[in-house]
Amino acid sequence: MSEAVIETNQLTKKLGNKMAVDRLDLRIGQGEIYGFLGPNGAGKTTTIRMLLGLIRPTRGTVRIFGRDLQKDRLSVLRRVGSLVEYPSYYGHLTAYENLEAVRCILDVPRSRIDEVLSVVRLTKEAKRPVKGFSLGMKQRLGIATALLGSPELLILDEPTNGLDPSGILEMRELIKSMPKQLGMTVLVSSHLLSEVEQMATQVGIIAQGKLIFQDSIEALRQHSGSRIRISVDQGEAAWKMLLASGIQAEWELTDANRLLLPHESDEQLARLVKLLVHNDISVYRVEEEKRSLEDMFLELTGGGDSL
Amino acid sequence: MWRFFRSELLKLRKSPIWLLVFVSPALSTIFGLGMRIAPEMEEMAWGMTYTMMAAPHGLLFLPLLTGVLSAFVCRYEHVGGGWKQMLALPVSRGTVYVVKFVWVIGLLLLTQCLLLAGLLAVGTVKGYSAAVPWDILVSSLVGGWVACMPLAALQLAVSVAWSSFAAPMAVSAIFTLPNILLVNSEKYGPWYPWAQPMIAMLSGAQQAEPGVLGVPPETLFIVILGSFIAFFLSGFVYFQRKMI
Repeated sequence: MSEAVIETNQLTKKLGNKMAVDRLDLRIGQGEIYGFLGPNGAGKTTTIRMLLGLIRPTRGTVRIFGRDLQKDRLSVLRRVGSLVEYPSYYGHLTAYENLEAVRCILDVPRSRIDEVLSVVRLTKEAKRPVKGFSLGMKQRLGIATALLGSPELLILDEPTNGLDPSGILEMRELIKSMPKQLGMTVLVSSHLLSEVEQMATQVGIIAQGKLIFQDSIEALRQHSGSRIRISVDQGEAAWKMLLASGIQAEWELTDANRLLLPHESDEQLARLVKLLVHNDISVYRVEEEKRSLEDMFLELTGGGDSL
Repeated sequence: MWRFFRSELLKLRKSPIWLLVFVSPALSTIFGLGMRIAPEMEEMAWGMTYTMMAAPHGLLFLPLLTGVLSAFVCRYEHVGGGWKQMLALPVSRGTVYVVKFVWVIGLLLLTQCLLLAGLLAVGTVKGYSAAVPWDILVSSLVGGWVACMPLAALQLAVSVAWSSFAAPMAVSAIFTLPNILLVNSEKYGPWYPWAQPMIAMLSGAQQAEPGVLGVPPETLFIVILGSFIAFFLSGFVYFQRKMI
């Protein structure tokens, strides 16, 4: 794995009697989009607040860019952009002035404001007071603020919360483009597996304060045991053909023309579809049958005590 | 530090905080204008007008204003969730706290200057013939300002801790209203921090007596400095450790 940008060691936060975060060992490599996944109240935000020095860990350490956060907080934070939970804003100021208030502290050139405004497509709204903004626009302003200092690490807590579908899509594309264009590392938290799946390269799953899974997205797919469903016109012929090429397909109970295959790589699946089509079997649908996050949690936490 | 100060200026520039600064000097000026001075007292006109204006200001308005201003400089952070954004920026909590405090006392100093301007305006309108007693006026106004610092320190601590705007106001009112009784008490007045702005502002003008209410200035100095250190340090340390 590439050099670690974030590395926590036994990071723990006790809130009252509850272990909000319990001995977390996060490791996030350079240039990754790390999807930090977990149900509400699992400790995602608490972890992120510790990563930003907003709260102190009860135990354990945080190292960012190889430096101890406690000791070098200011120099580390200079290279980090963040958006924690709902966006922060000064309602009586315009979008431009909001960014200017942060720019003063970061001491970056004024031209950065126009740059980040155009990245989140708020250039036209820049002169309006933020209190009149929709939640989506405030969220975009929050992203713009996070990007203002040209950070090497972007930490986004539930960035798509409260956005409409087009806003979610836009946010996802924006996040995906960051590491490619700017060499950034991104940590993005979410309670939606589908969302994380569409943008993350690495995934960490937290439940009840404990990290129960941390690996690449591919490994998660394997682990989650998602299956491929193929609908064809001749179920039996297709089943035999697949069996002949070494794939044990299952019949779907309700419909004999639907076959369920174990998770395959893209190349292998393409070969199978080709095989079916070449043998004059009509392929109606090829879909991935995903299991819900809840199912996966049940499995990962060994059942019973999840969510 | 300076960069953060400018960031605060940007936030406060477009806020109604500037109007608050004018309220007490304007009211006091009206009191001053309404006052009649007998011709034989003409020599002492400045001192008398100043006392008339400074009494309600020092007794009630200035301590209350200290509370309002402290709550105000924290208000936008509480309302818009600005604390977590601000403290995730490369700025230390110590800087944040000190700059907020400097803004509060800076605005209080502005209020004192406006009160002086109001007094000069009253004197000019009424055509006082005596020379302006600059040394007494300036030392009294600065004294009142310094005496506000412990109050500002406590109010800032309360304002940082509570996200409600009303709670610090209530604290301010609860401590300020007893002034009306305590300021006349020789026994308790000199020891009560909220009475200090009034005492400091009026002691200079009544120079005939040594000290105030028979209490030497050293006592007042100890009360002001002691309570300032206690309040400021507790607020400062609390803010360092606060969970955002």
